[in-house]
Amino acid sequence: MRTTDQDNENTNQTSVDESGSLGWMNDSLAWGTKARPGKKGLTLEDINLGIYGQVPEQSEEMTRMPRGAFHVPGLPRLEFYPLSKKSDIWANNAGTLYEEAIQRRWMAHVDIPWDSIQTLPRELELSMCQLSTELAQQATIETDCIGQWVGRMNYAYHEVKTFLATELYDSGRHHDVFRKRALANGGVLGLESPGHINRRIIESRAGWTETAIYLYLLRAPLTLTLYRYGEAYALNPAEKLLFRLCIQDKARHIAYGMSHIRYAITERGSDVALGLLRMMAGVEQDLYSEMKDPVLWEALAIIFGGGLENISAGMEIVKNLKKNYITEYIDRMRYVGIDKTIENLAPGLRSYLEADAPPGES
Amino acid sequence: MTTTTQQRNYWEKAKDAGFDLGWLNQLRENIVIEEEAETSDNLTGRVSGSIPRPEAPKFGAYPFRTKKEVWGYNLRKLHEEFVTRQWSSATDIPWETLEELPDDIEAAECQLATFFAQVEFVAADVPGRFIATMSPDYQEVRLALLGQVMDESRHLDVFRKRALANGGGLMRMIDSVTDVVGGSTDNAREYTELSTRLHIVGEGNVLTLFRLGELMAYNDAEKAIYRRCAQDEARHVAIGVLHARYMKESSPERMEEIHCYLDEAENRQSSGAGGENPAARNMLTSEALAVLLGGGKDKVDEGQKILMAVRQKQVKEYFQRLKSAGMDDRITNGRVNPSLLEAYKAL
Repeated sequence: MRTTDQDNENTNQTSVDESGSLGWMNDSLAWGTKARPGKKGLTLEDINLGIYGQVPEQSEEMTRMPRGAFHVPGLPRLEFYPLSKKSDIWANNAGTLYEEAIQRRWMAHVDIPWDSIQTLPRELELSMCQLSTELAQQATIETDCIGQWVGRMNYAYHEVKTFLATELYDSGRHHDVFRKRALANGGVLGLESPGHINRRIIESRAGWTETAIYLYLLRAPLTLTLYRYGEAYALNPAEKLLFRLCIQDKARHIAYGMSHIRYAITERGSDVALGLLRMMAGVEQDLYSEMKDPVLWEALAIIFGGGLENISAGMEIVKNLKKNYITEYIDRMRYVGIDKTIENLAPGLRSYLEADAPPGES
Repeated sequence: MTTTTQQRNYWEKAKDAGFDLGWLNQLRENIVIEEEAETSDNLTGRVSGSIPRPEAPKFGAYPFRTKKEVWGYNLRKLHEEFVTRQWSSATDIPWETLEELPDDIEAAECQLATFFAQVEFVAADVPGRFIATMSPDYQEVRLALLGQVMDESRHLDVFRKRALANGGGLMRMIDSVTDVVGGSTDNAREYTELSTRLHIVGEGNVLTLFRLGELMAYNDAEKAIYRRCAQDEARHVAIGVLHARYMKESSPERMEEIHCYLDEAENRQSSGAGGENPAARNMLTSEALAVLLGGGKDKVDEGQKILMAVRQKQVKEYFQRLKSAGMDDRITNGRVNPSLLEAYKAL
């Protein structure tokens, strides 16, 4: 990997045989590398041997050269990768999570027992359709967000790029499975999301770390919470399984996101953490605006209550869900090194941590 | 089973308790049409068929919002194949079958693996960007491209693993990135341009090589890598052919433009400019291939002869794709690159 501090070294390692045939045959920086498969097969971790496992703090290589390949001088840039610092994108668990994503792959059209879905009372079915529509759209936003960032990441950090490719693929599956569920039982698609947080995620421009906070600390914990409650209150084996499988996927995404943000803050310092805390003040206002919209919560209340007749009882469970979500948001922010507290939380969101909000506001 | 009257009572009770429930009425009236619209007004990332909210901010602003720009036939079926045929480079390759190879063969395998580790993810970076700019109303296209992104990341990974698993190492980076005349895959800003270059020509050339993996492989692990990558690559090529076929029927006015993309891509295919075709003359990978195909550095001449047959096969399969896409008139009307015709007739 060509880094600033390795420039001199690489000058001495460039191709020596420009004219002759087979001149490339000796062009390897670490000939004799022999990675061996472990218990989980031959993983990305297993091949991070010697120089191949040395992840540079910064890369000026703009040619897609694989990390540790033999550098050829005088090649023009192929791309400008704005994310070329390790602290911009890295997470130590990215390679492991990549392999896990592949091992735990599943198929929406085959693995889900769709035939276990039986006719439901109309309001209950439509509520499930509304929840499914919301979750499918959250997946779409995840796709659009990562799709526009992954190509800006330097190839020195291929573990992150390949992990994000799995997340893109997961997000496509999540969109697919929830759209399928909405239409699998005589239902329809519901209302689109209010869009405040979707807009924040898509329009984020300050950096991948900032975007990752929206994606993995603000949105993903809500998605994960919805999956967990979805599994707990599933109306049939098909829903039970699809929520369970989605939980696995989402937990993996969050694991990368939290690891990255924590790493970025550790590397870049407390000033960055303070900036991120301030950034979220406005975003929390948007989240509160979005959470005042009753559509998703009423749909959940009908599902949790088991029907329209028990919507009030169901709303008590929704209140718990919201409380859990906001609590988790605070906990995750603190874990990564951002000083989020109940005291500096947006006042509207703080109300969800208190009991007995009125139905429209719950 | 509740009666209609009971339902009405529940509804009124809920309304009295302060619930809105207006959304339930909207859902009752929603009709989902599965046929994709010719144009999409979706600027909010909403799921196709869902109910728009007039107040939602229009942050989507997808540049690709017409079916004609992105669609392809049978993409739903192709997507299911993508999903069904996923595999793991960690566990589905019999790595234990790797045995020590002569240094020249190992170096050639590693050089080829370095090439693929460098170029394969381009076909993830670029489609990734396009997915994010395509209306979700054309979700089948997005899903197929997401499948490709996943495959390409696995290709980067499996070839890196191969280079580092058998006593070799990563070799020289691709040095044939210049001499590009016209547009390149990376630079494409229009989906049909991207798909023509990437799927029909670029991926097609690599597909031929992967299909001939038996000739380059020296153990079961390498055979498995090439075989599985060939399956993946065939799907990527299919995305392009299915799109081109659709374009021919829906947008005949764009055929000349597509032929221009093919003019440029054929030039690169034959010359090796841009470093996309590892079998092209002037590519250092073609030497590596000659070593592998011939059976050693002292049999490079033999290997070069086989490589000529490989190039011929690339052209034959390319012509077949043109035929399948309905663009094979260029083969007979004198437009196709002469060096491709030469390769076609060479043996």
